[in-house]
Amino acid sequence: MEPSYRIVPPSQIKTASISDTAGSLGLHDTLHYGIRSLATEMRGGQFENRIAKWEETQDNARLHMLANLYGPSAPMRLLMERQIVSASPHMPGMPQSNIHLDILMGRDETLDPTDFFLGLESGPPLSIHNEMEKKLRL
Amino acid sequence: MSQQSAFSSSGFDFSNSVRNNFLQEKGMPLPKATSTGTTIVGCLFKDGIILGADTRATEGEIIADKNCEKIHYITESIRCCGAGTAADTEFTTASISSNMELHALSTGRKPRVVTVMTMLKQYLFQYQGHVGAALVLGGVDSTGPHLFTIHPHGSTDKLPYVTMGSGSLAAMAVFESSWKPNMERNEALALVSAAVSAGIFNDLGSGSNVDACIITATQTEMLRNFVKPNERVEKERHYTFRRGTTAWKSENIRDLIVNEDITLVGATGDAMDTS
Repeated sequence: MEPSYRIVPPSQIKTASISDTAGSLGLHDTLHYGIRSLATEMRGGQFENRIAKWEETQDNARLHMLANLYGPSAPMRLLMERQIVSASPHMPGMPQSNIHLDILMGRDETLDPTDFFLGLESGPPLSIHNEMEKKLRL
Repeated sequence: MSQQSAFSSSGFDFSNSVRNNFLQEKGMPLPKATSTGTTIVGCLFKDGIILGADTRATEGEIIADKNCEKIHYITESIRCCGAGTAADTEFTTASISSNMELHALSTGRKPRVVTVMTMLKQYLFQYQGHVGAALVLGGVDSTGPHLFTIHPHGSTDKLPYVTMGSGSLAAMAVFESSWKPNMERNEALALVSAAVSAGIFNDLGSGSNVDACIITATQTEMLRNFVKPNERVEKERHYTFRRGTTAWKSENIRDLIVNEDITLVGATGDAMDTS
């Protein structure tokens, strides 16, 4: 994200995109996700964007202020530490847990609903091959 | 190896939102959540804070709970009354209570009311009012007694006496006419009861009993069902049937034990060898 002092995620222009359902050719993957429809292309709206981007926006503002105080190397170091620690050896289907990252992000001393609801909003992946493909391509 | 996002997910799945919008447009109503209707009050007195609440929970026009508890525990000397959607107030206060316990362990100090207030307001602001929790937060910490009110969109006020909920106007009328600074405990408790009773008798969304909670620097006293102005009267007649009202015509007793065969085990001198 580009440096900014925003603490609230900006409201997005309403768009429809096929990024969620795109296959390897960049087009809507009918074999996988069915006929192309608005339901798969629409994002959830302003509210979804707000809560999905909340932590990132606040973090970005904090890092920007850190850069103003201590110079550009300060946020760079923090981001480097995070990146090193995010290299996860876990398989994408299994429950993910990264305590080092939690400590760096300050989550080790708070309890979030996502911590005890165990990410049940999405079930086990339909195909581990796809998940691994996405993971290793990055 | 791959990168996972450093940020935790929002925890919500929006994949049904297009379908839900469509259904709503076609006229299908959203399910109604249990709301607390409510009169909740808080008042500052000489030694600390007194919080008061009624005990009715409504679900549309029906009373879902005649004696629910609206004064939630945050920490030992901080309590929070909740109005609005019952699930939201209970879950939010429980979540903040857990986080405050962790925070107190981490800092090693007694928790402060402003910390709870800040956590609550930041959480409610993030959800833009969708979390329907209107709260009255009060407590005594190392800096003294504090009383706050927090609205569902995240705004807060710091005041010596506050009321929230559908019965807040009735209760506020009582406070405005009788509150004075540095009241004694009994006076303040009577005032809080009067304010909540005003809400109970003049607002349809509030009813049943009065709960009160007195928080001072040394102790917290929870007075559950402090006043019960709506007790059901005992019926004047008895409607039970006397024994023998219904005559029975035939009787058939079936023994569950069909066949019983007793074999003694170990009773004939097979005592334990303790030599």
